Amino acid sequence: MTHSLHRRGDYECLKDDFVVLGCPATGVNKIGSAPKTQKYLSIAYKCGPINLGDMKTGNIHNTTMADILSRVSDGTIVQCTFDNRDKIVTLLKELKNDRPGISVIISGVTDVVQQCMHEAGLGYIHSLEYSLGTWGHTEMLPDFPILKTVTMCGHAMIASDLVRKMVRDVKRGRRTVKDCVKEMAECCTCGNYNLTRGERIFRDLLPLYTVHSLY
Amino acid sequence: MKVDEDKCIACKRCFPYCPMGKIQTFKRHEKIHGRVYIEIDQDACTDCGMCLRADICPVQALYQPQEEWPREIRGILSNPLIEFKGSQVPGRGTEEMKTNDVKGTFKPGEVGVGIELGRPGVGAYFRDVELIAMAMMGANIGYQLAEENPVTHFMSDKTTGKLRDDVLGEKATSAIIEGKCKLERLPEALRALQEAAKRVESVFTVEVITKVTPKGEVPIKAVLEKMGIWYSVNTKNNIGIGLPSYDFYGTSK
Repeated sequence: MTHSLHRRGDYECLKDDFVVLGCPATGVNKIGSAPKTQKYLSIAYKCGPINLGDMKTGNIHNTTMADILSRVSDGTIVQCTFDNRDKIVTLLKELKNDRPGISVIISGVTDVVQQCMHEAGLGYIHSLEYSLGTWGHTEMLPDFPILKTVTMCGHAMIASDLVRKMVRDVKRGRRTVKDCVKEMAECCTCGNYNLTRGERIFRDLLPLYTVHSLY
Repeated sequence: MKVDEDKCIACKRCFPYCPMGKIQTFKRHEKIHGRVYIEIDQDACTDCGMCLRADICPVQALYQPQEEWPREIRGILSNPLIEFKGSQVPGRGTEEMKTNDVKGTFKPGEVGVGIELGRPGVGAYFRDVELIAMAMMGANIGYQLAEENPVTHFMSDKTTGKLRDDVLGEKATSAIIEGKCKLERLPEALRALQEAAKRVESVFTVEVITKVTPKGEVPIKAVLEKMGIWYSVNTKNNIGIGLPSYDFYGTSK
């Protein structure tokens, strides 16, 4: 499961986009992991994530933090999305001092994550996963500006047609950009959608399409 | 996903929420004169449940019936809320490198290679998943499949990557083949995927996993650069604070 790995965009677009997962290990520390995961979640929540969730329960934009926290059980994987590197440094310092006891994984620009780890005194990255891009019939993919939005939900639950509809709605004055961003966040159950980056990308793609071209 | 033809008013509000895109057609109701409803292409639908979760239907005409084998695997792999019992991990894959600091799944000298078909937003039939799995196993590089992965579970022959015949016509929003091989076999693995990419009828994303050395070196980087293969600036990084730590270098002995 690599749902936070294949986000698309260049360095500038991705440098303030982080998904931090807390994950217990099957067969090692999964049994009895619920309080550890809750501890991780509470530490992360204090650091100000823009989104946060557990895929079975939902995210803070379609349920509450209390609901997510109360439904954490042994084996639950939680994800917290941040839009600022300083918050990541703060989070890492907290986690270094008060280890919850489960694995913590950060999806983000490698160099930036490594810098944050050094600043927090955590040394080098332990293990790393590269995305080698999309292969095969890539002409079936949506335009790159739309792809940047839809890949923020790794389970591909933000439909490219929905992004196009949102553009039409905004251009016709039916809803605001913020409403559109919130709705996309609700579609991404796990809480991986970064609303700050999502809004920036959405505003960038608005002038690229005319209403007529989207039918 | 199905539509109750007696309730549906063909308002089209659910159309944009479908990650597979434009898989609905209009039908004329046979019993109610003048009534039109929508019908979802059952072959193209992956039962991901997004249209239902969006709660957009004004007449609650959408419903997800309990599916039998093999159709049920569409929901298992496509709906993020359904857990595959074989892996006990929500979603379509495994813990892969997420718990490497604790489990030691990928040791120095090993490389994880994952191939996720249908992603992003295209979907893939299992005949394509089989094509890629057989290409990887046929490359004879000692590719070791992840046992707890759903796709591995659907294989009738794990030595060749052959999938059960009854699942080949099923489709998922995304299905991931996961495994690992020795670092020196990575170029052959990637060449096998490059060849398979010409024959597949969908898209797939490729990911590679490595243990970073104590000095911060990323062993697979040189291999990718030598082969001229693009890799993203965005990576997934295990920060190594899980407990108890796996002893990678035998330093505790």
